[in-house]
Amino acid sequence: MKESAARSGNRQGTSGGDFKDCFRPEDYFTASKYFAPESLKEAVEILEGYGGDLKVLAGGTDLLVEYYERLYEVKGWLDLKNIPGLKEIKVFEDRIEIGPLVTHTELEKSENIKEYYPVLNRAAADVGSPQIRNRGTIGGNIITASPAGDLLAPLMAYDAEFKLVSTRGERIVPVGQFFTGPKRTIISSNEILSRIIIPLPGERTYGSWCKVGKRKALIISSITLALVVKFNKERVIKDIRACLGAVAPTPVEIKEVRKRARGKRIEDLNFSELGELVAERISPIDDIRGTAEYRRDVAREIMINALEEIAEKAAE
Amino acid sequence: MKKIKVNLTVNGKEFTLEVGPKERLLDTLRERLKLTGVKEGCGIGECGACTVILNGEAVNSCLVLTGQLDGSEVITVEGLEVEGRLDPLQQAFIDHHAVQCGFCTPGMLMSARALLDKNPHPNREEIKRAIEGNLCRCTGYQQIIEAIESVAGKGEEEGADYFEWDPD
Repeated sequence: MKESAARSGNRQGTSGGDFKDCFRPEDYFTASKYFAPESLKEAVEILEGYGGDLKVLAGGTDLLVEYYERLYEVKGWLDLKNIPGLKEIKVFEDRIEIGPLVTHTELEKSENIKEYYPVLNRAAADVGSPQIRNRGTIGGNIITASPAGDLLAPLMAYDAEFKLVSTRGERIVPVGQFFTGPKRTIISSNEILSRIIIPLPGERTYGSWCKVGKRKALIISSITLALVVKFNKERVIKDIRACLGAVAPTPVEIKEVRKRARGKRIEDLNFSELGELVAERISPIDDIRGTAEYRRDVAREIMINALEEIAEKAAE
Repeated sequence: MKKIKVNLTVNGKEFTLEVGPKERLLDTLRERLKLTGVKEGCGIGECGACTVILNGEAVNSCLVLTGQLDGSEVITVEGLEVEGRLDPLQQAFIDHHAVQCGFCTPGMLMSARALLDKNPHPNREEIKRAIEGNLCRCTGYQQIIEAIESVAGKGEEEGADYFEWDPD
């Protein structure tokens, strides 16, 4: 009874007609809690107390879409907005730490992100629309864990780690171990993502980013590629990360690319072969954003383009 | 049931509201403050009809919880007009026939205003990017872009070029 009331309150209230009859603000209040603690310590204590009943809230641009028409299911929010430090980008000697509440717009505008992680910077600029980028956060993108999350392949390509805190302490999890399936991660219901830690890439690191979707703006990616290549002084490839989104249940790195390319000069690589390798190793599905066959074809081509782009940049 | 006390400045006026934890900014503006210029299209951040300016940034008011906004400033389309004078953008939309059915117009205006507040002389690409989160189902994008360009101080000259006789 209450549930259906909440539903009509949410939706029909604004769909025209005499909404006074069907809009009941009290519908929004049914059995819901709201916490906005002022420290991380307090936050994890509240979370521990309520367990899975609270939704941890950052920008809300994913949660309010996911729970659209079933907001009544949300038993309460734990809003992170008052916790100091979660909106900062801090540069250390060997790493950058990004707070989970940093928005896509902030990632796009940050000079540090532009300089050190251009692939992440460009991916952030490709998220949703200005309205979404102004509100949506890096932490939200990670925790939502959509296979198509635009920041995830870049984070993987830069070897990011995630700091998770709970009342029992903290742990740091590498991005490669964090995602377990579509919208699934290893984070427990009593943990909060408190930092995104990315090692500084060092000199002679080049990156390429590609997002393919049915239109330019406001589109869930059909496929994304983040390629990051590190060279030594002799222009030999020290390390290479080819990471893709929307082509598997989680963002994936094609590790065979590393094996084939490390220790070689980029001009000695066979780009078509590496493109073919990427196309073979992904495990895409057919869905409304593209068929598996299409995704394999596109993966091959964008991998070749990315290698060409990096070869050009490295030659400068 | 828990209410959250929120101090909010909307179109220059201060409000102290007690809102529920699940109340969206869109509902607060439309239902409580009767600012029905804010339109609800999709409700899931796809169409931009509900765009307002929150602390200087364009946002979808359907994806913002009012409970999060204590101390914030919101501007809606109703806040663009000053003492009976339309915002130059509003006048430009009229002059350039940038309004067809009109449903997307308030959101388009707010996205455009947010852009011009930060960047008074955007180029065409910057304008397109600023309104990429706003759908116009009448597909009147051309006129909308021209209207914004005219306020950005670029459209007039380009428009005039079109009629100039060029012997080469």
